[in-house]
Amino acid sequence: MVDRFERYVTVLSDWLAWIGFAGLLLMMIITCADVIGAKLFLRPVFGAIDIVILSQQVAMAFAVSAALIYGRHVQVEFFVNFLPARLKALIDTVVDLLCLALFAVIIWRLILYGYMLQAGAETSSTARIPLYPFAYGIAFACVPICLAFILNSIKSILAVVHT
Amino acid sequence: MNPSTVGIIGIGLLLFLFLIRMPVAFAMALVGVFGFSFLAGSGPALGLLSQDVFETLSSYPLSVIPMFILMGSFAFASGISHRLYKTTYAWFGSLRGGLTIATVVACAGFSAISGSTAATAATMGKIALPEMRKYGYKNTLSTGTVAAAGTLGILIPPSTILIVYGIMTEESIGKLFIAGILPGIILSLFFVATVAILCFRKPELGPPAGPTPFKHKLRSTLGIIEAAILFVLTIGGMFLGWFSPTQAGAIGAGGAVVIGLLRGQLSWKNFIESGKDGLLTSCMVMFIITGATVFGHFMAISNIPFILADWTAGLPVSTMSIMGIIIFMYFIGGFFMDSMALVVVTIPIFFPVVQELGFDPIWFGVIVVLVAEMGVITPPVGVNVFVIKGIAPDIPLGTIFRGIFPFLWAIALLIILLMIFPEIATFLPSLIES
Repeated sequence: MVDRFERYVTVLSDWLAWIGFAGLLLMMIITCADVIGAKLFLRPVFGAIDIVILSQQVAMAFAVSAALIYGRHVQVEFFVNFLPARLKALIDTVVDLLCLALFAVIIWRLILYGYMLQAGAETSSTARIPLYPFAYGIAFACVPICLAFILNSIKSILAVVHT
Repeated sequence: MNPSTVGIIGIGLLLFLFLIRMPVAFAMALVGVFGFSFLAGSGPALGLLSQDVFETLSSYPLSVIPMFILMGSFAFASGISHRLYKTTYAWFGSLRGGLTIATVVACAGFSAISGSTAATAATMGKIALPEMRKYGYKNTLSTGTVAAAGTLGILIPPSTILIVYGIMTEESIGKLFIAGILPGIILSLFFVATVAILCFRKPELGPPAGPTPFKHKLRSTLGIIEAAILFVLTIGGMFLGWFSPTQAGAIGAGGAVVIGLLRGQLSWKNFIESGKDGLLTSCMVMFIITGATVFGHFMAISNIPFILADWTAGLPVSTMSIMGIIIFMYFIGGFFMDSMALVVVTIPIFFPVVQELGFDPIWFGVIVVLVAEMGVITPPVGVNVFVIKGIAPDIPLGTIFRGIFPFLWAIALLIILLMIFPEIATFLPSLIES
């Protein structure tokens, strides 16, 4: 059961990371096209900065869960490693639940923020791209990291029980 | 409770969350939002959280970070690092300890296109360690050299730490980059001198490899051209005003892809793997900055940085002594924290102090990078050491840490030199100003 849940979370995070990767490549391509267009042909890409910053949002938000699963978020490891396994698992449970609470709040507030942007018809400064889908997008991209924290806390609780 | 007391409790809570292994980015965001809500109410705090997440992830000045990280990833996948090492190997390999000297020089070269210590150590470690083993180099020397020389990645531009420092302190990233060049060259020379002294005293540490014909040396020199082109194009382009930092990073990343394709070395698989690696690293850095932004807002309303700045300015000791204490605190912090985390947590607290004392912010940026460099190679959280351990799992951690020790003195010596002669860091930026 836990294994299957872990597989789902990993597959979902990997898929979202692909979207993030596309966003990162778009940042690079648009910026290069803008520079080459502006310097060589005097024709910059219209709204290049808008596209870059919104692509960056997509890239970073959609990769956050994969970064957690593949152990890329920086942690201070040295202290907990000296503790007994049971206490370590208990601490991991607390940390995972705190992180889950943080991201649940972030999702909730980003949905409200997106609604505010939608109601105010807020757009990017040059290309006039509506901003609210990106706030909703970041909120959606944070769902798998919540699932990953739920998974990790289940694993930690099981470790507390079994050690 | 007065705001500064809440701020101090917040810092304590943050350190506690670090100790219990909460990811640094999330710990800062959590403490930041709690502290802010305690001082200003939960409504503004929660509003600030979503706004900080949205605005930090869509910050154009910050887009320089993923672009330069991507450039380093693609440069590695395009085989640029491999050719760099082959060149330095050809020129220095026949000397006593020559392969380690070659490694230091190649690390310095790769640092000119990569902004990360771990990426530089991992890249050069994979190439250089097997060669040094083949020629019977002692593990203390070979692993210590790669781990230490990898730290040049954050001193020689482009540097992720200098970018983040520049964004947090609103200093020019271009000036910070150029400020890192001279100290980077000097530190590379110090590392080479360290190897030479070690091998002079104990020749068995690094026996010379076979001689390379002069014709081959000349031909191999072509291997540095691609790295030089990327460096001149990106860093040079920034200084000549052709590109903004973000554009320079994107051009560098695109250039690395073009070089890989022209060389026929960048396969689709390599492209995807290196790009995704760059994405995850960028994501980690961006979320640390997001967390630091939330935490920074809490620190600002707690008034701690300003109280600290006023207090230190009034201390009856010389400003250099206070700077010495700050550096010592960074040094101790580096034992326990990742360099990026150390910088983003401490800059909002110490930077106002440094300004109040009248130190040059560009010079301080270079000092922070040097102390952070010490942090990535000292136990127990020496990131580069774990990178080397990952490449050479059979070598005990203790051996690697022992090998690093002489290089720590080299970094410490450069810090002292910079304190006596700040012009080492400020001279080149002043040329741009003039």
